[in-house]
Amino acid sequence: MADNGQDTKSARRQGDRKLIMRLASYAKPYWKYFLIALLFTIILSGFNLARPYLIKTAIDDNIVAADKGIIEANEARQGIKILGIIFLVLVIGEFMLGYVQTYLLQSTGKKIIMTLRNEAFSCVQRLPVAYFDKNPVGRIVTTVMNDTEALNEMYTEILVGFFENVFIMIGILVIMFKMNVRLTIISLAMLPIIAFVTILFRKKSREIFGEIRSRLGRLNAFLSENLSGMKVIQSFNMQEEKYNEFEEINTKYYSARQRQIKLFGILRPLMDVVRSLILSILLWYGGLNIISGKLEFGTLFAFINYINQFFTPIMHFTEGYNILQSAIVSGNRLFALMDYEPEPEPSDDEREELEEVRGGIEFKNVWFAYEEDKWVLKDVSFKISPGESVAFVGATGAGKTSIINLICGFYENQKGEILLDGVNIKHIEKATLRKNIGMVLQDVFLFSGDIETNIRLFDKTITTEEIIKAAKYANADCFIDQLPGGYKNPVTEKGSTLSMGQRQLLSFARALVIDPKILVMDEATSNIDTETEGLIQEALIKLMEGRTTIAIAHRLSTIQNVDKIIVIHDGKIEEMGSHDELLGKKGLYYNLYMLQYKNIEETLQKNLA
Amino acid sequence: MAKQKRNGQSMLFSFLKDNRWKYITGILLLFIINILQLIVPRLTGTIIDGIKEGAIGEQALLKYSAIIFIISILVFILNYLSRIQITGSSNLYEFLLRNKMFSHLLDMSMDFYNKRAIGDIMALSTNDIGAIRMAMGRGIMLTANTVFLITASIYIMSTKINPRLTLIAFIPMPALVYVMMRFGRSIHKRSKKVQESFGHLTRKTQENISGIRVIKAFVQEDNEIRNFQELNEEDYEKSMALVRIRGIFFPLIGFISSLSYLVVLVYGGNLVVDGAITLGDFVAFNSYLGMIIRPVRFIGMLINFMQRGKASVDRIDELLDEKPTIYDDPSILKEGFESERFEGKIEFRDLTFRYAEGEEPVLKGIDLIIEPGETVAIVGKVGSGKTTLVNLILRLYNPENRGALFIDDIDIMDIPLEILRQNIGYVPQDNFLFSTTIRDNIAFSPIPIEDRTVKEAASISQVYSEILELPEGFHTTLGERGVNLSGGQKQRVSIARALAKDPSILILDDSLSAVDTDTEERILEGLGQFMKGRTTIIIAHRISTIKDADTIVVLDRGRIVEHGTHEELVAMGGTYSEMYERQLLEDKIAVGEYGK
Repeated sequence: MADNGQDTKSARRQGDRKLIMRLASYAKPYWKYFLIALLFTIILSGFNLARPYLIKTAIDDNIVAADKGIIEANEARQGIKILGIIFLVLVIGEFMLGYVQTYLLQSTGKKIIMTLRNEAFSCVQRLPVAYFDKNPVGRIVTTVMNDTEALNEMYTEILVGFFENVFIMIGILVIMFKMNVRLTIISLAMLPIIAFVTILFRKKSREIFGEIRSRLGRLNAFLSENLSGMKVIQSFNMQEEKYNEFEEINTKYYSARQRQIKLFGILRPLMDVVRSLILSILLWYGGLNIISGKLEFGTLFAFINYINQFFTPIMHFTEGYNILQSAIVSGNRLFALMDYEPEPEPSDDEREELEEVRGGIEFKNVWFAYEEDKWVLKDVSFKISPGESVAFVGATGAGKTSIINLICGFYENQKGEILLDGVNIKHIEKATLRKNIGMVLQDVFLFSGDIETNIRLFDKTITTEEIIKAAKYANADCFIDQLPGGYKNPVTEKGSTLSMGQRQLLSFARALVIDPKILVMDEATSNIDTETEGLIQEALIKLMEGRTTIAIAHRLSTIQNVDKIIVIHDGKIEEMGSHDELLGKKGLYYNLYMLQYKNIEETLQKNLA
Repeated sequence: MAKQKRNGQSMLFSFLKDNRWKYITGILLLFIINILQLIVPRLTGTIIDGIKEGAIGEQALLKYSAIIFIISILVFILNYLSRIQITGSSNLYEFLLRNKMFSHLLDMSMDFYNKRAIGDIMALSTNDIGAIRMAMGRGIMLTANTVFLITASIYIMSTKINPRLTLIAFIPMPALVYVMMRFGRSIHKRSKKVQESFGHLTRKTQENISGIRVIKAFVQEDNEIRNFQELNEEDYEKSMALVRIRGIFFPLIGFISSLSYLVVLVYGGNLVVDGAITLGDFVAFNSYLGMIIRPVRFIGMLINFMQRGKASVDRIDELLDEKPTIYDDPSILKEGFESERFEGKIEFRDLTFRYAEGEEPVLKGIDLIIEPGETVAIVGKVGSGKTTLVNLILRLYNPENRGALFIDDIDIMDIPLEILRQNIGYVPQDNFLFSTTIRDNIAFSPIPIEDRTVKEAASISQVYSEILELPEGFHTTLGERGVNLSGGQKQRVSIARALAKDPSILILDDSLSAVDTDTEERILEGLGQFMKGRTTIIIAHRISTIKDADTIVVLDRGRIVEHGTHEELVAMGGTYSEMYERQLLEDKIAVGEYGK
């Protein structure tokens, strides 16, 4: 992001051009509206010019004429009345055109922002999980919501404004040149100053805009995180410290804004100074020439008027230039998000359709690292037959969750192959893959809505009956029925008053309702009491029928019924086999098992004695 | 709208009061600038007249030209100063308001967070506060300029030219005022709707991204895109409702103000024809009217700024007016509590609790005494009220009435919150970690914690060596919600965080669920030493975790159904012994199989 001196300068300029073109491309479908708006703008400026003319006519042709006795007073009155009517018509026309013009511009602006936002949101949906590991939620939200909003002005002000101002400027220039070439050149001599100043300020204003945007993102990221963790903050009396942290971030945002105010406090009024400079030079130079008889008085008078008019579009240009800078900053942030490599999907000739998923999974020499060269999985190979149940066992951080992450296609393995029913999962569309997997994850995330939406999520094809059935299966119905609103009981993101155990039951129901071929459970029963867990285990036995089941659990007792246990240690498979086989081996599993059960065995023996 | 003084509004007033000199200076400067800017055309006129009549020499010409330039420099400087005063103040207000909002949020209790969405609050903090800044900066500047220009022109027109004509020119003004009021209200209402729908959209985005892993796991991306598009469409509609009204409003103001021209043209023209006023007056009047018309057109923009700002003030007030339900009663004495360390006695007296009025109680008639230094285990089915019980000890919620919960024989309502929570080390179920270094996550206390203590806490919770294996050890920065740690590691860091503050009461809410049994045992062993002299409450599901507790409390549907030591409860043959038998059976099967 940082500027790296000279060589990147032209690249950046080219980048700017590309970016502007890209932003403009969103306006393209609406070019007709913009054209109409532009046309109306021109007509409106024509109307504006016509007004003084009407008054001039009233004065010259009626009032003065009556005064001089050229026409009768009544005739003059009649003439004024007609002019009044014309004026009225003009004003009404102005009103109507003005309405249509504002409406067209604003509505297309809003539409473009809506499109951009939809696209940004869609892109976010396709981003790989790794992106979300690195980027705080609040920052992504800021880009989708606020950076898009910041582009609005560009579409409503600049696009039409640019052409309008070019027209006006060209018009005035032509008139000025026609009247007096030398005076025109003198007036224009100052324009490079303006160009110079604007460009001089560009880097600065770009930098400040960038700072404002990124600090706003930081503010939102902080809010999003700390509001989520408010319970912990309050439990640990950290309100004051968190307040200070927030104030610091807020101060940085404040000072960036303050810098912007100061910059614009110089930039905008500076244009006025340049205009006055031109005006005084014109007055002085023109005055001298009049005195020496080289210049007509009327010309100077007209020039002074035109210079003032000439500056209006120039002011608009500089203003527009700033809006553009701000848009470039926001656009860069937005497109950086949208251009981020999405989750890899198979290309058309790679893609293989799965007729009916049976649920066989095979890892062939899989290597995987979240960060380069820090291998989390090292040469892992195993095979799970359709309908088989498998448990992964190992110390925390051994790589169990990573295996599940890979099966679900959340991350891509660097080496080796992962096969589903013999097909490399890299050749399967992510959606197809995941539709066949029901996941019960460690952290249960709840969406605001009600219990029902948290089971069906956003799939409206799932009926209430199916939801109730799944909830019953997962034994979640006992607590749901006790809620005042039952299945319609409201739930918020923070989970309101649902306990972790209740959330886990909900997430079971969530996984079951889609009737998956493969069921994946990562520490799914850790917050559930033994009685409920027993009920779930019972349900699971039914469920495992005809499904491939993959479980991670620390309690070895909960996984003894599985067909195969895979022991992972430090990213490698240490042992594999059934419970009995592994115990017989007296290896790592045996040791883990002994650690867990030595006490129990003691008690058992005590009981026997 | 409620008439009582609202939080945000009173803050706005007191800010304006405190910064009145900045605003007054800024506005005065604006007036001076306006006057100077009126002088320039006059001066230009004088020069031109002078040249025309040949009354001006080269010297004088240079002098006047220089004066014009000098005035413009002056205007430049004053402009800068005035902007700094006014926009600077609006920026300062944004800063203060956002601080105030966050500090208010820090005071808000859990019941508030159970119903408010984070995305909504984010929208308030950016979009709405931004709208207020605009109103207080550009809005006020525009107002000052408009008021000045209109007043000056009216003054000149009525005194220097013709009061009657001035009066006539102002015939359309009541209509203008009416339109402004009428549309102002609509703009206010519709702006509020726009801000609201922006909030909804932000909420959707925030929630979606927070839950993106679930969205992906359940292939909900397309559904979510559709949902987002719907909300986005709604936001568009709301914005368009505002655009439609603004689209009429701005040109309408232009139209009504142009009617003044019309009146002046027709009536004034006739006056000249009748000889009631001079032609020169008529011309001058017209040009002054032109000066008014421009600022009158600003009024549209101005009202837009102001009403949008006001809508946002309303919205933020709704947040600031929410009263925290958990706070220190002003009557409680803090002196006695200074640096006091609790003994750690906890007593529940017939405590009943429900999260919301009219709901089924979550806890019913809880009677329980936990002696200092005792270790109490709480077991019970999912949703039986275990977490609620410990939440009450932390006073994350208030007990329904006084006299129901005592710490060291003092009613919990009489204990300053800060001291209460400083004494409690809490390991929540969801082990939330912050995106800062591991060290700062463990040393999470207002009282500085030494490195040694941090390391000790990490060792007891069996995470020390794993932390050292990380690239930067204790200084490794975690991702949001600690994404770069495994579930078990997060849980252990969260335990270390509770231990590091050296609490007199330790609460472990199902905090060993994500660690393997071997680690659990080692943690419990280490804790055994640590827990000496501290009251400990452990919520757990596994008998192995809790059987050594001094007392075991069994909760069922919000009631204590059993209470005693492991042996007593097993002998009692109730819920606990059933649970024990079940686990024993499971284990027996396991061990038995091995024994084969």
